[in-house]
Amino acid sequence: MVRENYLASLKKSIINLDFKAVVEVAKEAMDAGVDPHTAITDGMVPGMTIVGEKFESGEYFLSELVVAGEVMKEGLEIINPYIKGDSAKRLGKVVIATVEGDNHDLGKNIVTTLLGVHGFEVVDLGKDVPTDKIIAAVKERKPDILGLSALLTVTMPKMGEAIDTLKAADLRERVKVIVGGSPVTPEFAESIGADHCAVNALEGIKKCTEWVTPRGVS
Amino acid sequence: MHGVGDSTRGELIMAEMTRHERIMTATHKKRADKLPFFHYWRHSQIGWAERECRNRGMGMCWERPPYISKMHGVKSSETQVVSSGTVVLRRTYSTPVGSIYLDEKREPGIERWHELRSWRDVLPWQTDRLIKGPEDYKVLKYMVENTEYTPYYFPIEQAMDWLGDDGVVIDNMPHSPMQMLMINWIGSEGGRFFIHHAKYPDLVEDLYRAISKSYEPLYEIAAKSPAPIALCGDNIDGVLVNPKLFQKYFMPEYEKQARALHEHAKLMAVHMDGRVGILKDLIAKTPIDIVEGLHSPPMGDLPIGEALSLWKDKVVWTGFPGSVYSLGPEAVKKHALNLLREVGSGDRLVVEMSTENLVSNENLLMLTSVLENADLPLTKEKIDRIERSLG
Repeated sequence: MVRENYLASLKKSIINLDFKAVVEVAKEAMDAGVDPHTAITDGMVPGMTIVGEKFESGEYFLSELVVAGEVMKEGLEIINPYIKGDSAKRLGKVVIATVEGDNHDLGKNIVTTLLGVHGFEVVDLGKDVPTDKIIAAVKERKPDILGLSALLTVTMPKMGEAIDTLKAADLRERVKVIVGGSPVTPEFAESIGADHCAVNALEGIKKCTEWVTPRGVS
Repeated sequence: MHGVGDSTRGELIMAEMTRHERIMTATHKKRADKLPFFHYWRHSQIGWAERECRNRGMGMCWERPPYISKMHGVKSSETQVVSSGTVVLRRTYSTPVGSIYLDEKREPGIERWHELRSWRDVLPWQTDRLIKGPEDYKVLKYMVENTEYTPYYFPIEQAMDWLGDDGVVIDNMPHSPMQMLMINWIGSEGGRFFIHHAKYPDLVEDLYRAISKSYEPLYEIAAKSPAPIALCGDNIDGVLVNPKLFQKYFMPEYEKQARALHEHAKLMAVHMDGRVGILKDLIAKTPIDIVEGLHSPPMGDLPIGEALSLWKDKVVWTGFPGSVYSLGPEAVKKHALNLLREVGSGDRLVVEMSTENLVSNENLLMLTSVLENADLPLTKEKIDRIERSLG
C-alpha cells in the first residue's frame, strides 16, 4: 500500500467510527515506515475534521463525535510511540476543568479531544476540580485560555469564584476564560466576567482558535 | 370545584379550584380556573416563604414509588474505601456469575434530610459505575433477570392522605431501560455509554432487552397504583439521546408502558428537561400524556408555546430554569411574564417551580407573584395587569 492509501484509510476509519480498522491501519502504516506525524496530521486529523463537519450539518450526533474521538485515541496509542520528541507545533495552551462539585465531564472531554485535534496543548485537570487547583494550574502552566465546564446549576457559581480568584491573584489579564455546559448562558457568563460562553464544543474551539490566531492570519 | 349559591343574585358562583383540581384539570386537557403551579416536595424548603407561596396558590407534588424490589441470588455489601485519593462508599454485588461494584461519593446531608440527597439537594455521585468493561455485562444481566418487583402502595396512599387537595401524588418509576444504562449503569462520563454502544453493541442490546423484559410487571404495578399519574424517571436531552437512539430504544418502551397505564386510565409522564428540539417530531408520535420538566430556553431549546402548538394531544409541565433563578428575582419576573405571553390561552400547561434545585425564598416569592393571578384563559390584558401589579 502506498503512503497516500494508508492516510486515506486512517481518515476513513475515523469517519466510519471503526475501532478495528484504525488499529490495523495504524500498525500497518507504522510498519511500512509512514511518518507518524504525517499519519496523524494528514490521515486522522482530516478524518476528525470531516466528523466535525458532519456534526455541524446534523448528519452526525454527539455520540458519533465522541466515538470518533475515541477511535482516534486508539489509533494514536499505536502511532504515538513512534514519535521522537515533541516536535509538533502548538497553536496555544488551554487549561480545562469541570468545576468543583460537578462530576459531569462529557462536554469537557469532547472539547479536550477537539482542542488536541486542532493543535492546542491541553492541560486537562479533570472533573470536580477545586478552585485553588485551577488557579495553581493557571499560575504554573501559563495557558492562553482557561476553559471551565459545569452541568449543574448549583455548581455554576464556582465558575464565578474561579474568575474572582484569578482577579485577586492578578492573573485575570493573562488568560482568556471560556465557560460552557448545558445550563450556562451568555448572560450568566457575562455576569461572572467570563470572556465567552461556548454554545457547543465546535463553536468553543472556533473561539479559542480565534483568540490565539494573530489578526490577519486565517 | 364547589358551587356556592348566591341568593341575592340568583347565580351559582364557582369557588376557586383546589390545587389538586387545578393541576389535574389542566393535565386532563381541560381549562382550569388559573394556571396551575406547584413545587416538588423534595425541592421545597419548609418555612415562611414556602408557606406563603402555598397560601397564594402554589401546589405540591409528591413522587413515590408504587413498588418494592428484591434481587434473588445476589449478595450486596458496602464498605468505605479510598479510590483515586477520595473517600467513597463501595457497594459490591456478588452473584453466581461474578461480582461488580460501584463507588459513590457522598456530600454532607445525605440520609440526614431526605432520600439520598445532600444539603444542596444533590444525589451521591457514582465515581465508578457498575459496568466498567465487557466482562461486567453478564453479572448485571443476572441481577436484572433475578429482580422481582411487587406492588407496595402504602407510600402512595399515605402521601395522598397527607396531601389531600393541596397537590398531586405521582408514581415514581425508574429510568427506561436504555436510559438506565446511559445514566446509571454504564454512565456517560467521558462518553462511556456511546463508546460501549459502539464497541460492544451486542452486549448493550442484550442487557437492554433483559431490562425491558424485567420491567413488564413493573408497568402493571404502576398501572394499578392509586396515583393518577406515573412519572417515567427518564432524563431526556436530545444531545445525549439523539433521534436514532430515541426512536430505536425509547419510543418502543414508552409505547409498552403507556399501553399498560392507559388500560387503567392512568396518565404517563416522562421527564424531558433537556434540549429536546431535535426530538420534537418524534416526541409528538409517542403516547406520552405529559411532557414533564420541559425547560424553555435558555436551558432548553424549545419554546413552551411551540411545544404546546406542536404536541396538541399532550400536556406540558414546564420546569422553571435554574439558570434564570441564578440571575435573581428580576430575571425570574421577566422570564415568567415572557412565558405567560408565549403560551396562548395557558391551557394544557402546568408550571413546576423547579425540577432540579432548591429555590431561594426571593425567587420562589417572585414566581408566585407572577403566577398567582394568572387566570385562564390568559389574555394580553391579564398579563399586562399582572406586570403592572408587580411594579
